[in-house]
Amino acid sequence: MMQNIKINAYQFLALVTFFSMGTSILIIPAVLAEGAKQDAWIAAIFGTIIGIIVIWLFCLLAQWFPNLTFVQINEKILGKWIGKAVSLVFVFMAFIYAASLLFYSGTFLNIHLMPNTPMIALNILLALVVVIGVSLGLETIARSAEIFILFFTILFILLVFFILPEIKLENIQPIFEAGPLPILKSSASFIEVTAVDAVVLLMIFPAFINNLKQAKKSFYIGYLIGGLVIIILTFLSIAVLGPYSTAAEYHPSYELAKRINVGDFIQRIEALMAGIWILALYFKTSLYFFASVFGLAQILNLKDYKPLIVPLGAIVVVLSLILYPNVIYQKQWNATIGMYYSYSIGVVLPIVLIIVNALRKTHLKKEKAS
Amino acid sequence: MKKYIFGLLFFSLFLSGCWDRRELNQLAIAVAFGFDKVDDEYLVSAQVVVPSEMSVNGGTGKSQVTLFTARGETVYEAFRKMTKESPRKIYPGHLQMLVIGEELAEEGIGKSLDVLSRDPEIRPDFYVVIAKESAATDILNVTTTIESVPANKMFKSLKVSEEAWAGTKSINLDELLTDLISEGKEAAVTGIRLIGDPKIGSSKQNVESIKPAATLQYDHLAVFKGDKLVGWLNENETVAYSYISNTVKSTARPISCPNEGVATIEVIKSKAEVKGDVKNGKPEININVQVKGNVGSVQCEINLNDLETIAELEKSFEKKGEENGKRTIESLQKNYNVDIFGFGEAIHRSNPKEWHKLKNNWDEEFSELTTNIKVDLTILRTGTTDRTFLEKVQE
Repeated sequence: MMQNIKINAYQFLALVTFFSMGTSILIIPAVLAEGAKQDAWIAAIFGTIIGIIVIWLFCLLAQWFPNLTFVQINEKILGKWIGKAVSLVFVFMAFIYAASLLFYSGTFLNIHLMPNTPMIALNILLALVVVIGVSLGLETIARSAEIFILFFTILFILLVFFILPEIKLENIQPIFEAGPLPILKSSASFIEVTAVDAVVLLMIFPAFINNLKQAKKSFYIGYLIGGLVIIILTFLSIAVLGPYSTAAEYHPSYELAKRINVGDFIQRIEALMAGIWILALYFKTSLYFFASVFGLAQILNLKDYKPLIVPLGAIVVVLSLILYPNVIYQKQWNATIGMYYSYSIGVVLPIVLIIVNALRKTHLKKEKAS
Repeated sequence: MKKYIFGLLFFSLFLSGCWDRRELNQLAIAVAFGFDKVDDEYLVSAQVVVPSEMSVNGGTGKSQVTLFTARGETVYEAFRKMTKESPRKIYPGHLQMLVIGEELAEEGIGKSLDVLSRDPEIRPDFYVVIAKESAATDILNVTTTIESVPANKMFKSLKVSEEAWAGTKSINLDELLTDLISEGKEAAVTGIRLIGDPKIGSSKQNVESIKPAATLQYDHLAVFKGDKLVGWLNENETVAYSYISNTVKSTARPISCPNEGVATIEVIKSKAEVKGDVKNGKPEININVQVKGNVGSVQCEINLNDLETIAELEKSFEKKGEENGKRTIESLQKNYNVDIFGFGEAIHRSNPKEWHKLKNNWDEEFSELTTNIKVDLTILRTGTTDRTFLEKVQE
């Protein structure tokens, strides 16, 4: 079952970068500014640093089982039935988040670009591309990420370059007013979307990696690049829009692109910049969807995961429409239930796995010795 | 199979389209909005361009813009109601000006601005002005020369006078909203006045004469407390405000010569630094304005070749500037008790901890605030000549 497919370290780096930026690029500056005000960018730096510990946890787990996916690791450590049950909860999370991202992109387009297009049409279009990508396989997704990361870089550099003249440094002063506690608190959701949710990457890392040592490095580097992008965007949002507007807008980085005006000539290019978010959203959705489809196939011991793609794709579109009744609900859900869900799967579960595994190892050693 | 897929893809080329497609001939492009309040209802006016008159072929000589008005309990309702009169839906993406009537401004502008910050089609980079002594709808009902779209005239006039004269101060919606919500700064918005006969003003006849019967002019600066208009600053005070808020790009200022008569300094660069400080629990503001300028005109008999004369001219300018700045701040402290300069923000930046104690009764603190203002002019050039012919004029 596609065990012979391998992706290289650079492709994995592109995937990790896209994944850790995915949704955060659109909404995280607002979430950070809500609690930390003008110190939101410091909260982003804090978050990035703490997130490294989470990534380290994943790498630790991965290096013990270099040929297994997360679902298989669960079964190996926790036993067949408990393992399968836990994996089901994990797969369900990935599936819900895939639907959630469809909702994100649909609302984003609905609010800013196409107010009269029904969301179902927008969601079907994105889901269709995701389904095509996943049925072509992991290698295809990885290769396209490798190409699109270049487009992304160019657009992002242009955005930063064009917005520089609009910066007002008074907006970020006084620095460190919020104090360490609110800053740490508001970075919790940042860590969730950039690092903790990256637990779904354990479905491809390390099982489909051709060089574990290099891929580990790309996991860290990719994550740091993603974090840096968010830090820069948060800083720019605060410095250009001010702390209030950054917190009040649903999509502050899009509002940022609206402010671009170089010599009354280069202006109104926000729709072009929206390409950045759509790209990042696409790859993140694909990875969530791949993890849920492939994970479900492994739980059910199917030989091939491909028959599941189209039915689950249809379900994910419908789910994306009924998941949240409105945008405010989604915001609340993310801050409460979504947060607990992610942390229990992305932090608590790996720690439990590591502890149980260590206990079993010492137990086995003792048995052998006796 | 491949043939079918190819065929399907080929035909889908012709089926593609955009759900939210709105062609140019379905849009009424609004360039200026006016908000007024009439009997507890909002009166919204939209100045909309007439595309056929804007065409390169010259049109038929009718007015290039038209004015739609509608009343509603909310501004947004009035926007939509406008379609009763307008054959096309109002498209605000190219909005340049928002004029707010004085009466509405006195009542409070905040409620009417929410829709503008919420609607995705509106870009917050248009200018906001207050109609002084008239309704906004009357301001939008005046034809103008040179720029035949009145909104363009208002936009460019404000931009150019801010850059060349400093007696007006532009503010766009984004900046206005920032000032409205700021704890340490109140908003100040430039005023616009209708001068002349408003009845002729709306007709084509107005611009057919050399001197139009009615014109639009920027004058005075509206001072806000919260979102309510509380008073107007005159021109000299506006100039001081422009210096302190660091928006002076270039201006001309008359100063008195050492002996008698006047000269003009052409300011070409100005940079103001506002620094907050708290001494013994009392806030203090230090303003330092660095100005670079040229001698623009001389209307007195002085010897420009003397370095001392230059120094005296500099001193004269500095003294006048400092006095004007001091007077303006005092008048705001006494008459309105409103901090439009953002002194509170300056203290917030420099002393964040003390600011949290001060901010609750900042209005009172502001009225007793000590301010030190220092102007420093450097004269760089004297134009194309180093003397004045007035010395040689035979009496």
